[in-house]
Amino acid sequence: MVASSEAALAGSPTRSDAEVVFNRDEGADNWRMRLRVPGWPRQTAPGQFAMLTPGGLTKLSSDPLLPRPMAVYRVFTEAGGAEVEFLYKVVGRGTTLLSQAEAGEVVGVVGPLGQGFSLPPSKGKAVLVAGGTGVASVYELAALACEKSEVWLLMGARSAADLGNLEDFEALPLNLEIATEDGSRGHRGLVTELMGAAGLDGEEKLTLYACGPTPMMRAVAKLAAERGQRCFVSLENPMACGFGVCLGCAAPRSDGGFSLVCRDGPVFDACEIDWENL
Amino acid sequence: MTSDGAKPGAASVDTSVNVGGIQLRNPVLTASGTFGYGTEFAAFMDLRKIGGFVAKSLTLEPRSGNMPARIVETPSGMMNAIGIENVGVEAFIHEKLPQIPEEVPVVASVFGTDPEMYAETCRRLSDVPQIKGLEINASCPHVKSGGIEFGQNPKVLAELVRVTRKATSIPLLIKLSPNVTSVAEMAKVCEAEGADGISLINTVQALEVNIETRRPVLRNVLGGLSGPAIRPIALRMVWQAAQAVKIPICGIGGIATGEDAVKFLLCGATAVQVGTANYVNPKAAQEVAEGLVAYAQAQGVSALRDLIGALELPESG
Ligand SMILES: Cc1cc2nc3c(=O)[nH]c(=O)nc-3n(C[C@H](O)[C@H](O)[C@H](O)COP(=O)(O)OP(=O)(O)OC[C@H]3O[C@@H](n4cnc5c(N)ncnc54)[C@H](O)[C@@H]3O)c2cc1C
Ligand SMILES: Cc1cc2nc3c(=O)[nH]c(=O)nc-3n(C[C@H](O)[C@H](O)[C@H](O)COP(=O)(O)O)c2cc1C
Ligand code: FES
Repeated sequence: MVASSEAALAGSPTRSDAEVVFNRDEGADNWRMRLRVPGWPRQTAPGQFAMLTPGGLTKLSSDPLLPRPMAVYRVFTEAGGAEVEFLYKVVGRGTTLLSQAEAGEVVGVVGPLGQGFSLPPSKGKAVLVAGGTGVASVYELAALACEKSEVWLLMGARSAADLGNLEDFEALPLNLEIATEDGSRGHRGLVTELMGAAGLDGEEKLTLYACGPTPMMRAVAKLAAERGQRCFVSLENPMACGFGVCLGCAAPRSDGGFSLVCRDGPVFDACEIDWENL
Repeated sequence: MTSDGAKPGAASVDTSVNVGGIQLRNPVLTASGTFGYGTEFAAFMDLRKIGGFVAKSLTLEPRSGNMPARIVETPSGMMNAIGIENVGVEAFIHEKLPQIPEEVPVVASVFGTDPEMYAETCRRLSDVPQIKGLEINASCPHVKSGGIEFGQNPKVLAELVRVTRKATSIPLLIKLSPNVTSVAEMAKVCEAEGADGISLINTVQALEVNIETRRPVLRNVLGGLSGPAIRPIALRMVWQAAQAVKIPICGIGGIATGEDAVKFLLCGATAVQVGTANYVNPKAAQEVAEGLVAYAQAQGVSALRDLIGALELPESG
């Protein structure tokens, strides 16, 4: 197994059929699902994900075939496992099936998987840039980071309705700024345009985090490189297995090789990625 | 122990089989490229509950794969064009293998771009005690220099089998491509050149298109189709090969349950390999082995071997 101390801290992943605690529509195809997962380890690193199979691991239908990767949004540890929450957008057949899972039914879970975010240095500043469903990956990071650092969370979406339910984020002691493409809430335009806000452009002791559509992450990575700021991104390459055996999720590295998004990521230092070929 | 998965009180079933000199506690292996180097599954299943595993295809030197996108899901299946990315034969022997429990039989899969590279890789793997056999990947459909040519042309295949047979005295399986007109002919070539068994099928060559971008989905353009979508094709080819040769056959293609595995044994396979199903359910191979035993118990079959080739055909008029 991966022998890194981070992986050991995060604990061994479980493979189990989890009971749906609730699964609800929060508007504009955004859903929130909570699963009771037996065997989920005590620690989950912020930014880890799980592979979900509607109908359970031994589901009868082979179509769609593969499990769907979803970021772990929040974890509530309990005896013998945890209740794990996911935020997801219905975009195709797999997520449609997920949205049809009712309380008491089962969803197959393999997780937590991957390497999560490193926290910003204590008393540092952190700017989290999240677009679309990327917000799901950064909640635990935001919650942990704002205990010791000053945190800005810049959220982008097509329109106000797409933002989903922001109550959890609004409850955190951080600076929340919003951009919508149609201007229905916050700044009108792209979320990356908020990155000049609060005079953070020249700040070197600042850590950037980005999770969202690839063009958004590419733009954040480019800005970070120009400003000489540390930047972490969470990639969402298509996956088959989620635990490093199919080699399907490979992301090209700037040094020429490949990293596996599911095993070495999904979080990477942005300068390690070959953005041209991703 | 020969009664994996047996329920207390149920009749015990002899699950052991021998595939061309590779002795297995049960007929369920995992397919090359779908089980990593074995270590990745330790968190999810007990490796000792399956017959053994076939490791990712190895080349003489470490090899980097194709640019993304490398995979895409298709109806009841998936396509891949990974490009035989692997750590190389030496890193496998010295870094990966020591992490596998000793009692788990390992079959090493070998790939190369010319017969001599295959042969040298075979030589290096032949003296490693835990490696119980070699599987020659003569069928990878998406690497431009090599792969498909070996498995698609009987003369080229014959040379590859001859050269690798000379390079090793441990059990030698040849993995065949489904992308041929007559799998029976290819199987006969392997038998004639001294192979101990054959494995089939590898992935079925395929193409998927994105109509928004009007481009192929995979960067490599073509990919290999696997999963339940190819199972009936695989079953047909195993059956045809089994009619043509006496050497044992490892059946592969879309196997996800014990019932699926039973079908392959009935069509003449001595063992089976579980591939894509490992991604969907990381304990799939163990559950296939348990499912085989459950079937045998329900049918009053005392040895899984008795199912091999037991397909009953309609009377021919
Ligand atoms: C590590 C990781 C974490 C993720 N976390 C979340 C999350 O927290 N919430 C969430 O809603 N989604 C998340 N995703 C994306 C999610 O996995 C996909 O949206 C989902 O697999 C689509 O399945 P589907 O069957 O509904 O759609 P499909 O029918 O497979 O596809 C429908 C559309 O979605 C696109 N799509 C498919 N897979 C992806 C992908 N991996 N990334 C982006 N677009 C895709 C397709 O190109 C297509 O246009 C994550 C992906 C990864 C790899
Ligand atoms: C992602 C992926 C990678 C594979 N890599 C290899 C490989 O390196 N060598 C090989 O002989 N077969 C490889 N295969 C083929 C499988 O071993 C198997 O023959 C095929 O997938 C059919 O079985 P399945 O339908 O159960 O997956 C690969 C298959 C997949 C899906
Ligand atoms: S998804 Fe299979 S290796 Fe990453």
